[in-house]
Amino acid sequence: MIYLLKKLFKYLVMDTFEAARPFTVGKRYKHFRRTLLLIMTVITMTPLVVAATLSYYQYQVLLEKEFKNHIRWNAESAGRTISAFIEELRSVIGFIADEYSHEDLADQEFLSSLFSRLKHKRGLVDLGYIDPRGIQQTYAGPYEFRGKGYRNMVWLKESIARRSTVSEVFMGYRKMPHFVIALTKKRPGLEEYWVLRASIDAETLGQFIGTIDTEASDDIFLINHAGELQTSSRYFGKVGDTFPLESLPYKSGVTLKVEKGDSFTSLKAFAYIEGTPWILVLVKRGYIHERVWSSFKMELIGIVFISAVLAFIVILRTANILGSRIREADEKREAMLSEVEHTSKLASIGRLAAGVAHEINNPLAIISEKAGLMHDFLEISGDFQYKDNFYGQIGGILDAVNRCKVITHRLLGFARRMDVTPEFILLNEVVREVLSFLDKESLYRGIKFELELQENLPKIQSDKGQLQQILLNIINNAIDALERGGRVVIASCSYGEAFVGVRISDNGPGISEENMKYIFEPFFTTKTHGEHKGTGLGLSITYGLVKKLGGKISVESTLGVGSTFNIMLPIEFKVGLDGEDGSDTGFVGG
Amino acid sequence: MEAIRVLLVDDEKEFVVTLAERLRLRGFDTTPVVCAEDVFALIRSEGSPDVVLLDLKMPDMDGMDVLANIKLFDPSIEVIMLTGHGGDPEGVGAKKGGAFEYIMKPIDIAELMVKINQAAAQRRRGLSGS
Repeated sequence: MIYLLKKLFKYLVMDTFEAARPFTVGKRYKHFRRTLLLIMTVITMTPLVVAATLSYYQYQVLLEKEFKNHIRWNAESAGRTISAFIEELRSVIGFIADEYSHEDLADQEFLSSLFSRLKHKRGLVDLGYIDPRGIQQTYAGPYEFRGKGYRNMVWLKESIARRSTVSEVFMGYRKMPHFVIALTKKRPGLEEYWVLRASIDAETLGQFIGTIDTEASDDIFLINHAGELQTSSRYFGKVGDTFPLESLPYKSGVTLKVEKGDSFTSLKAFAYIEGTPWILVLVKRGYIHERVWSSFKMELIGIVFISAVLAFIVILRTANILGSRIREADEKREAMLSEVEHTSKLASIGRLAAGVAHEINNPLAIISEKAGLMHDFLEISGDFQYKDNFYGQIGGILDAVNRCKVITHRLLGFARRMDVTPEFILLNEVVREVLSFLDKESLYRGIKFELELQENLPKIQSDKGQLQQILLNIINNAIDALERGGRVVIASCSYGEAFVGVRISDNGPGISEENMKYIFEPFFTTKTHGEHKGTGLGLSITYGLVKKLGGKISVESTLGVGSTFNIMLPIEFKVGLDGEDGSDTGFVGG
Repeated sequence: MEAIRVLLVDDEKEFVVTLAERLRLRGFDTTPVVCAEDVFALIRSEGSPDVVLLDLKMPDMDGMDVLANIKLFDPSIEVIMLTGHGGDPEGVGAKKGGAFEYIMKPIDIAELMVKINQAAAQRRRGLSGS
C-alpha cells in the first residue's frame, strides 16, 4: 500500500515537476495543485467509500440474519400452536374412545348426545363410529353418512395400522375439504378393530392458521408432503392446488429457503408439524426491502455524501493554501537567492575595489611627491622661460592626483570596516536634521521637500552618523536627478513590531529597467558628466551601510514618473545582523 | 634651534627619497630608509630621530612590529604611520600601538609638516620634562 502510494506520489508529484519544467511558473503550480487535490481526494475518499461499503454489506447481513431468526421463531411458534390445536382434538377423541365402550358408541342416540356436548370444540364437524367391517355404524353431524363404507380409505388403514391418525385434507363423500382425526381400538379378546373418527373443516383449519400472528410473513399455510395445499394461500392458490416444492425440507426444525426473483427476493420457512402429515409454510416477499433497510440506506448515502462534500471542500481549500504557500516560499527563496547573489557580487567587487585602491595609492603617492618636489624646485629656482607654464603643468598633475585620491579614499571607505555605534535615536529627528543640512542646496536648486512622517514612531537602536550618511546619499541623488521645481517626498512609517521604514520618493526622470540591475554596484553611475559628475560609489556605500545597520534597502522606479527608495531599519540593533560586521559585503579594510 | 630629525621608512624608494627631499627643502633633517632592518642600525649609529615616518605595510616587516620595536628601543621617538591602505581601524590600532598619528597616502605636505612639528614638539617636551 505504502509502496503504491510512494509510486503514485512520485508519478504524480515528482514527475509533475520534472515534466513541468517547460511549463510556465503559473501552469506548474496549477498542475501541482491539481495533482495534490487528486491525491488527497483519493486518500480521503477511499477509506470513506470502503467503510460505507463494508457498513452496507455488514448491515445487510445482520438485518438478513435477524430477519431469518425472526421468521424461524415465528414458524416454530406457529407450528407449536397448530400442533397444540390438533393435540387437543386428538385428546378429546382419545378420551371418548378410552372412556366409552364400542357398544356405547355404536348406539346412535348416545353418539348424538355425546356430539352435542362436544360441539363447542372448535372446528369439529362430525363424529362417527366405524365398526370392524369399515362401515360407519353411528354418525353424528350435518351429513347422512350412517352406513357409509370407509374400508378403502387411506386414513382408516393408517389409523388401524398406527392406532391413530390425522389425515391430509381431502374431499371425501361430502365433497368439501376437510381432514380427519381417527382413533383405533381393539375389541377385547377379539382381533377386531373399531375406529372413532372426527372431521374438521379445512376452512376452520385455515381460519385458525389465519389467527396466528405472523408479522414476519405475509402468507402462512399448510401443505402435505406431496406439496398440495391443505389450507388456502395468498400467493399459491386454494386447497388442493400444488405448491411448487422442488424437494422436501429436512424433517427436523425449521428450514429456510431464499429465492431470488426478478422483482423481489422471497424467504420461505418450512416447519413439519409433529403428528400430522402437514408442513407449515411461511412466505415473506421482498423481505430485504423492509423499512429499516431503506431508511438505513438513505442515512448511509446521506452521511457518505455529506462527508464526501465536506472532505472535498477541506481538500480543495488545503490544496489551494498549500499550493499558495509553496509558491510563496519558492518565490521568497528565489528572492533571497537573488539577494545573496547580488550581495556576494557586491562583496567581490568591494574586495577588488579595495585592492585596486591600495595598489594605486602607492604609485599615486610617488606621482604626488614627485610633482610636489618639482613644484618645490620651481619655488626655489629663479625665473626662466616657461616657469609659469611649468607651474600650470604641475598644478594639473596635482589636481589629477587629488581627483584620484578622492576616488581611492572613497573606495577604501566603501570597503572599510567601520564599527557600528548603536544608540537610541528617533528616525524622524534624523530625517529633519539631514534635511536641515540640505536646506540651502534645495533652495538654490529650486527643489521642494515634503515630509510625511508618522508620529509616535518607536525609538530605534542604530548608528546616527551612518544613518545620516545613508539619508544624505539618497536625498542628494534625488536632488541631482531633479530639474528645478522638482519634489522629494520623505515619509516614515513602522513595519510591524520589529522594523521602521523611511521612503524617499522623487518625481524625477526615473531609472530604466536595465540600470536598476546595477544600481547598487560600485562605479555604476548615470552622472557621467556635468556639474554633478558621480563616482558610482554613493549608492553602493549606502547599500553597505544599510546592511551594516541590519536593514534592507530596495528601489522602485518608473521612467518619466520618478523613483522611490525604501529603507527598513530594525528597531532593536543586534550584533551579527546582516552586514553588521561587514562580512556580508566582504568589504574588509586593507 | 636644531632641525627636526625625521627618519622616513617605506619600501617604495621613489616615494621615500622624494618625500625626504621635499621635507629637507622645508628645513627638516631627513633620512630615507627603504628597508625596515636598516632602521635600527641607523638609530644605533646616528642616535634617535625626533620623528619616524613609517609605512604600515612593507614586504620584509610589518609596520606595526617596527613601531613596537622602535618604542621598545626608545619610547621617546614619535612615530607617524603612513599607508596607502585601510582606514580608521588601522589608525586606531596604530595609535593604540603607540603611534603619534596616522596619515593616508597620497599625503598633503602641509598637513604632514604640521603633524611632524607637533610630534617633534611633543617629544622634545617629554625629553625636557624628564
